[in-house]
Amino acid sequence: MSPAPDAAGDGPPPARAVHQFVPALIARDATGSHTLLLRQALREAGWRSEIFAEATHDELLAETVPVEEYPARAAPGDVLVYQFSTSSAVAEFLAGRPEPLVLDYHNVTHPELYGDWDPASAARSAAALDQLALLAPKAALGLADSAFNEADLVAAGCRRTAVVPVLVDLDRLAAPPDPRVAARLRAGKAAGGADWLFVGRLVPSKAQHDLVKAVWAYRRCYDPAARLHLVGPTPSRRYLASLRGFVADLGLSEAVRITGEVSDAALAAYYAAADAYVSLSVHEGFGVPLLEAMRSSVPVVALSAGAVEGTLGGAGLLLGRAEPALVAAAVHRAVCDPALRARLVAAGHAQVARHTLAGSARLAVEAVATVAGPPPGVAAQPQAAVR
Amino acid sequence: MSLAAEEGGATEAADRAYLAQVMAEIDAEVARKRASGDLPARLERELDELFLEHSPLSGRGGGLGESLRMVDAAAFIDPVVPIGSNKSGGALVKKGLRTLNLWYIGYVTHQVSQFAAAVSRSLHLLDDRVGELGRQLDAQQVAPSSVVEAAWAVGPDAWWVDGAVRALAAARGRVLHAASGDGWLVRRLIAAGVDAYGVDPRPGPVDRGELDGTDLREEGAIEHLRAVEPAALAGVVLSGVVDPMTHGERDQLLGVLCDRLAPDATLVVHSLSLAGWASAEAPPEADLASGRPLRPGTWVHLLGSLGFEASVTEGPSGADYLVTAVLRGAPPNR
Repeated sequence: MSPAPDAAGDGPPPARAVHQFVPALIARDATGSHTLLLRQALREAGWRSEIFAEATHDELLAETVPVEEYPARAAPGDVLVYQFSTSSAVAEFLAGRPEPLVLDYHNVTHPELYGDWDPASAARSAAALDQLALLAPKAALGLADSAFNEADLVAAGCRRTAVVPVLVDLDRLAAPPDPRVAARLRAGKAAGGADWLFVGRLVPSKAQHDLVKAVWAYRRCYDPAARLHLVGPTPSRRYLASLRGFVADLGLSEAVRITGEVSDAALAAYYAAADAYVSLSVHEGFGVPLLEAMRSSVPVVALSAGAVEGTLGGAGLLLGRAEPALVAAAVHRAVCDPALRARLVAAGHAQVARHTLAGSARLAVEAVATVAGPPPGVAAQPQAAVR
Repeated sequence: MSLAAEEGGATEAADRAYLAQVMAEIDAEVARKRASGDLPARLERELDELFLEHSPLSGRGGGLGESLRMVDAAAFIDPVVPIGSNKSGGALVKKGLRTLNLWYIGYVTHQVSQFAAAVSRSLHLLDDRVGELGRQLDAQQVAPSSVVEAAWAVGPDAWWVDGAVRALAAARGRVLHAASGDGWLVRRLIAAGVDAYGVDPRPGPVDRGELDGTDLREEGAIEHLRAVEPAALAGVVLSGVVDPMTHGERDQLLGVLCDRLAPDATLVVHSLSLAGWASAEAPPEADLASGRPLRPGTWVHLLGSLGFEASVTEGPSGADYLVTAVLRGAPPNR
């Protein structure tokens, strides 16, 4: 742990405000939710804290201030936190600001993972990596959701880093499940067959096509009535169209359900009905849905990629390859072996207990305090593990 | 370390061991499923290929027609933006903004749409021209060579098999047999302690051979070798592969082969002689093939120019022969 330069006794006075900047504040999005929860934690710690955004989802308009208004509101001693997950003009704006910068890095999907599917997104990713290289050396501190993301920050030139899990309110899934969705899922289950679930954006790097291959193999070998639910927004129309065509060619149109984005209540219904959560994503900076599945007592089978192993913490079946036969056999075991299922669920609950919102928020505040100094009115704060 | 910490560490170790045991059992289950024919590796490859057919702009599927449909769909830029809103009065405000801006945005988008339509039209003309060229070429196309095997010349009892196994018995690394059929030579090489596997473009024999877990893949020899790392193979056996090849295909095969063989690797080629190729016992595919076998001396000359030391053994009936060659040093193109 290294001392925080700005929190040392002879440094500048402690900050009164820690403001966040985000390219777009989006509802029901991991980074958007993290930003809102971090603001709450910063305010509860005693700092003034606003969210400055370039764009804001209609539902969240009251939560943000336009980025261009910041210069008029800037005050001596401000600390700025940038929620970094994509390319944005906000990065250039912050690069020109004199205030200490905390780079809260949520990973960038590397351009090659978009391949031929989405050249525009690939170009945006490449620009984002350039902006990471621009901001990382300037940042007083880099925050990463996972050790996997921290490695990116270090490689980009960040001198001080800390791992702070993404802030996620898992209790939102405790709300009653959407009755209509739950009834539909119950009706499906009554006809027999296991329910596979994956939650995430429908993009090539999340590899929903590999899930389709795996569920095809599973139906052929173990359970002809099994279903796969792919929940999440569908930003790539090209990938969506290809996936639908692939599903139809395999005769799985009734078995593979692509839901699009859903409400928290509907998501709770999907987790409640799932027999297994299966992820074959090839790129995960953290993997919030893995935590959600574990919180919902759903056994997890996942390809070991990016931060998945760290997020699971040994509470799931970790696969080295996404071969359909291997995935099918692993899911079959997780669904049909009661002893294994019980151990995975228990281990999942223990892992979730290590990722409480309060605990993660405390770590985040401690890490920010290494740059901003103790929050107003607080004599001293323990420091987060900063490298 | 406290007792609680020690207990926690022991529990974690036990959990890890349990999950490792489960994963080992899952791997064994997968091997059983593949060996039983419930889910042969070929089916998994077909799944991959089927998905690739849906991959747009990949060059491997989708095709120009699909890309053009996407271009057509995106060519028109709509200046009339949606005005729906969750906020009360939001739609009205957006409508007002849209009305104020439409004269300007509309002027710009009209020009962009015109440009996109011109590009789309040009691409359609190109598509038509390419399609016409393709149809003309189809009439002159030479079919890629297939495997041409004489039943009497291949199989465990063929005269050349012992010699091939002896030549490869000391190989230190993987040995490839193409075309491997149902894996008869691969199994023989494995029994001799050689790390062997096979490729064959014909699905039937590969499926039969995979049932006992032999490593066989449904691929052509050139296609497979292109995917292999340089200098990764300690030996290659070619049987039924080179005889029907055109000169161009044979050059391609030898070029990639030289790069994939390690120094001192052994190449074994079984070939019909010209007499065997022309005999009544040769398979009908021999007449239909684009190429014909080389004379034994030509192989020695050809392989010598590529850095091999080659020798030839004639078969007892004069209908076939075996070339055994060792790669000495780096070939000229490596």
